Amino acid sequence: MSDRTVVVAGLEQCFRARGGEVHALGPIDLTIEPGELVTLAGPSGCGKTTLLRLLAGFGLPSGGSITVGGEPVRAPGVERGVVFQQPTLYPWLDVRGNVELGPRLRGSAKVERRRTAERFLELVGLQDVAGLRPYELSGGMQQRAQIARVLANDPDIVLMDEPFGALDALTRERLQNELLTIWRETGKTILFITHSVDEAVFLGSRVLVMSPRPGRIVLDEPARFSTASHEVPPEELRALPEFTELAARVRSAIQHVEPVVAG
Amino acid sequence: MTPVLPSVRRALPHVVTLAVVLTAWSLVSASDVVKPAYLTPSPLEVWEAFVRANTYHPIGGGVDRVVRGEENYFLWEHLVVSLRRIGLGLAIALVVAVPLGLTMGLFRGFGRVVGPYVDFLRSIPPLAYIGFLIAWFGFYDTSKVWLLVLAAFPPITLATLNGVRGVKEDHLNAALSLGATKRQTLTHVLAPATVPDILSGLRVAVGFAWTTVVAAELANGLPGIGGLAYLSGTQNKIALSVACILVIGLTAIALDTVLRILEKQLAPWRGKA
Ligand SMILES: Nc1ncnc2c1ncn2[C@@H]1O[C@H](COP(=O)(O)OP(=O)(O)OP(=O)(O)O)[C@@H](O)[C@H]1O
Ligand SMILES: [Mg+2]
Repeated sequence: MSDRTVVVAGLEQCFRARGGEVHALGPIDLTIEPGELVTLAGPSGCGKTTLLRLLAGFGLPSGGSITVGGEPVRAPGVERGVVFQQPTLYPWLDVRGNVELGPRLRGSAKVERRRTAERFLELVGLQDVAGLRPYELSGGMQQRAQIARVLANDPDIVLMDEPFGALDALTRERLQNELLTIWRETGKTILFITHSVDEAVFLGSRVLVMSPRPGRIVLDEPARFSTASHEVPPEELRALPEFTELAARVRSAIQHVEPVVAG
Repeated sequence: MTPVLPSVRRALPHVVTLAVVLTAWSLVSASDVVKPAYLTPSPLEVWEAFVRANTYHPIGGGVDRVVRGEENYFLWEHLVVSLRRIGLGLAIALVVAVPLGLTMGLFRGFGRVVGPYVDFLRSIPPLAYIGFLIAWFGFYDTSKVWLLVLAAFPPITLATLNGVRGVKEDHLNAALSLGATKRQTLTHVLAPATVPDILSGLRVAVGFAWTTVVAAELANGLPGIGGLAYLSGTQNKIALSVACILVIGLTAIALDTVLRILEKQLAPWRGKA
């Protein structure tokens, strides 16, 4: 595998809005090494999605640069899979057709892509609705279908924008574990945006917090719970003092206040 | 009381309404509100004219000869000829309009330059072209087919353009992130995403073309259902004329129903996603 280090330097984004210019993001400097699982939290409207879309290549930044493996990012690419905040499934394809789309675009054989699709549909628990159209699914099911579509395409880098936001607690926990298994087995680089402090700390090998608009990185800490979670049960991990301590620091960073030191 | 089947109960208001309309019609034709009486044929007379127009029948008036339908064609054949004209006109219009609309949507500059001309053509009532087209293509079918092409292609072009403009940006982004080439985004996203708009453009065009063909058949429209409706009126065969009018109206409704079903089949997500 080629070097897929993501390097973000001096990245800024402004939007021309009705009331003048909105400074949405930056400046941001960030290096993501291959195989990291970076979780990103921050208050609503701080620019998380903006950052993710720039990494995906959906637009050019107002300032600064992004490179992946030394190559500047100018457009979307197959090595960067995107799980959108709003599911963007194709209504003219059924769920299976959506999940198969990546392999199909690459011209992989029908049997093979069918098998891939079945595998990932099963992973997200949608094998029974594979023949339905996306608009016949619930919001959470659409989100899971979208995750399956991206994973079936096997990108080196997965950009996920609040992928588990619409899921019930149990499904969420199951998918968190599946994601960690995939991450450990494949060594993918993952950027995972979430609103949940617990999720950020539990999943990340590295946790980032962004400030309110214009979004900058105000906390950048390594975490190790995701690497251990297959050996230690999640409940025990969450009960560890390091876990609660990091969670407290992430929470206060999001609220933009100094942490209260417990006496 | 015996329970009434739901389907019967639903049909009942329609049956009653139809009965009221037919009764009122019969009463008017039986009375002498309108004179001379042949101007108000009864429903039965219209039905008889309809049947006669679809069969071999004696010419009547003491002459011992049998003729085929009306003007040597059965009424359904007149209808088929008109339908063939709009079928041909619409087929050509689709072949021109869909690529044109797609190109206009994909290349903004081209769309801006060509758009006003399409808008202009749309604003012309198609019948205004008739004299011109007869001069170019003669009295017969060719000029009528071209007329229908001119009537049908602006609405289809504009609907296609509208469809391209309405394609969700993230639908394109998602495909590109999955590894689609530019060309694949056309075939896998843009084309299917515009199908619903093309179909609604087609529906508008079919309605438009049907009105146009019926009117265009005033000039040299035989065989043709519009031509027959006109001719029979001028020959004081009012019952036949009314039968033609009813057939024209019912055909318009049938065409629209067929297209609505097609829309449901080809774009079931319409309005849902
Ligand atoms: N296309 C755009 N045009 C104008 N302003 C935009 C655009 N996209 C985002 N913004 C603005 O940029 C800011 C950041 O938006 P962004 O979607 O990145 O927030 P977010 O952190 O993802 O929020 P959330 O957690 O609610 O999803 C917001 O204030 C938003 O109004
Ligand atoms: Mg967002």
